[in-house]
Amino acid sequence: MGPTKIKQKRSTSTTNEYLDSITTPSKPDNSCLISPNGKAKDSTSLDNVGDAQVSDESEFEIEDLLSSSDEFVYDEDGIDDDAQVMLSHPIEEKEQKHQKEGNMPDLDYTVMTMQDIFENMLRRVDHLQPIFNIPREDILLLMQHYDWNEERLLENWTEKMDELLVEIGVTQDTGSTPHVSVATNETTPQGKTTESSKRGVKFRENFTCLICCEEKNTETFSLECGHEFCIDCYRHYIEDKLHSGNIITCMNCSLALKNYDIDNVMGHESSKKLMASSIKSFIQSHNKNYKWCPYADCGCIIHLRDTSTLAEYTRLHYSPFVKCNNDHRFCFSCGFEVHAPADCNVTNAWIKKARKESENLNWVVSHTKECPKCGANIEKDGGCNHMKCFGCKYEFCWICDGEWAPHGKDYYQCVMYNNEDNPKKSRDANLAKYMKKYTFYYRIFNEHELSAKLDWKLGQTIESKVRELQEQMDISWIEGQFLPDSIRILNESRTALKWSFPVSYYSDQSHNLTKIFVDNQSLLSKAVEDLSELLQIKDPIEIMRRKADFYNMSGFVENRKFALMECGRELLCRGICKPMD
Amino acid sequence: MSSKRISKELRDIERDPPTSCSAGPVGDDLYHWQASIMGPPDSPYAGGVFFLTIHFPTDYPFKPPKIAFTTKIYHPNINANGNICLDILKDQWSPALTLSKVLLSICSLLTDANPDDPLVPEIANIYKTDRPKYEATAREWTKKYAV
Repeated sequence: MGPTKIKQKRSTSTTNEYLDSITTPSKPDNSCLISPNGKAKDSTSLDNVGDAQVSDESEFEIEDLLSSSDEFVYDEDGIDDDAQVMLSHPIEEKEQKHQKEGNMPDLDYTVMTMQDIFENMLRRVDHLQPIFNIPREDILLLMQHYDWNEERLLENWTEKMDELLVEIGVTQDTGSTPHVSVATNETTPQGKTTESSKRGVKFRENFTCLICCEEKNTETFSLECGHEFCIDCYRHYIEDKLHSGNIITCMNCSLALKNYDIDNVMGHESSKKLMASSIKSFIQSHNKNYKWCPYADCGCIIHLRDTSTLAEYTRLHYSPFVKCNNDHRFCFSCGFEVHAPADCNVTNAWIKKARKESENLNWVVSHTKECPKCGANIEKDGGCNHMKCFGCKYEFCWICDGEWAPHGKDYYQCVMYNNEDNPKKSRDANLAKYMKKYTFYYRIFNEHELSAKLDWKLGQTIESKVRELQEQMDISWIEGQFLPDSIRILNESRTALKWSFPVSYYSDQSHNLTKIFVDNQSLLSKAVEDLSELLQIKDPIEIMRRKADFYNMSGFVENRKFALMECGRELLCRGICKPMD
Repeated sequence: MSSKRISKELRDIERDPPTSCSAGPVGDDLYHWQASIMGPPDSPYAGGVFFLTIHFPTDYPFKPPKIAFTTKIYHPNINANGNICLDILKDQWSPALTLSKVLLSICSLLTDANPDDPLVPEIANIYKTDRPKYEATAREWTKKYAV
């Protein structure tokens, strides 16, 4: 039973059942064990999707369209249940721990990819099509314009559909001239085309493009507006705009290019890139419910529908740990790796502190500001103080960090530059005072991080080790799983140990509970080192001979980890550990 | 590619110069221009001549030119460094726009400031609350720096 386990969802399995499950592969296994392909599946909790509460944010609910086949739903905090019931866990102890954990709300989340989200959007478009009765491509444009917010779109649609279509550039405004009337076709005799054949790619001889001013035999592109430019210029123009996720318009007016136009001009499916950017910005602007997996090159997105449970986690100093399809575990609240026993506050304070030491990040602090809404670092490279976050599109004032909207009317309460950033000096003094203590803890923290990395590398080779065992000792695959299980426990415990040092750093050193916590730390340290040593054994015969040791040791480590985590949480709950800058 | 386009714009400006402004390269560098704008007659900048410096990026016209006033000017959308807060010089830029169009837009910005999206909040504040004071100061600055 994992220390950060919030609520036991599945039936408690006894020690015997556990042994059964690892020795008899044929036994149906509905737990969240790691399957051979490395993906954790949990089919039992899929039925929870339907009764998840609608989140407080008025976001686009796409889950009801999800087919259960292309998603995994986790209804736990990322800890694998049954794998953690070790030989040393009698059933009573487990139940006792369960009660102690209180009534934590379930963390109902889905793991998705950008493709999943986009496909759901397309399904939404299909649903809207009979209502709107315009081509799907046009609805896609409308949705893109409304940042995939269907409700807002529907609202505005019923109010003023014709204006909307013109405003977004779906159809041409026949009543007035294009908003930029510079490059009209009067200077290009070739520009005169018949109404019907205006849209699309054409080949022209001696065409003078008004963008590059070259005269050549070339393919050209234009929309119904007739603003025709050479294909090279259009490609350059589109390429520059793909990453923005915004609707791409004609270079000379507000008529929009549809996805097939973009693909037509570019010669390949570039519109996918544009849609991806648009979905990315949708995720950014709904970052309360959607979180990217922070691991490098992992494209998973965690979608938590009901964020109201997060407050309860915070109150009890738990952290909402989630796990993506690639088995990456991280905290949904702060996006860092699993950081128990530290809570998000301790983690943030610790990370900030570590950053302060780094020259590189000093620059970030002095030249950038965090977007007040999504926290992305923003560098101001000139221009006015009306800032628009590239990510979440939030508009704010650079001077006061406040929302921009009231600035236009109410006038500048923020004319005075905010000088409260000046306590930097006193902060520096404090820093010097605590530097010695900090260096001590940071060194230990780093050492454990290094060890954790090495252990992780060891874990990467574990599959081949199991195969070796299977071949040389003639055992089944499932029988050899004690090795990867031990590695996993070792990794998790190292991480817990690592994050226990920020907790002790911020704790009142004179308090008795802190002393108990420190004792727990050294006990876990010792246990972790023993397990680590055990895992260094290479000889298959020796490994099998000491199989019981593996079970006992990892069970012991698991217990010690749990004790340390609970102790750390108590430090936090009782206010003995208080993070400060 | 950008040099051909810039040359074309230069030819067009020389052949058919806009009424209230002029522009041309500084020395041999086609990518560095200087421009001047006459203060619009119906504005407090009337009678002044304002100089601007223009840098074309290498991927012009896909990126907007960088334009700044070199003459001091009292305006809600132009700051002490001469930076201009104008949408078509940022996200509303289009490759189909030309420098002479941009200069004309700057001219109309001098006539009609946009105090709701200001670069200098103090001036915008005065512009909105005490228009005569704003106009007096703008006239004074024009007389002092631009005549």
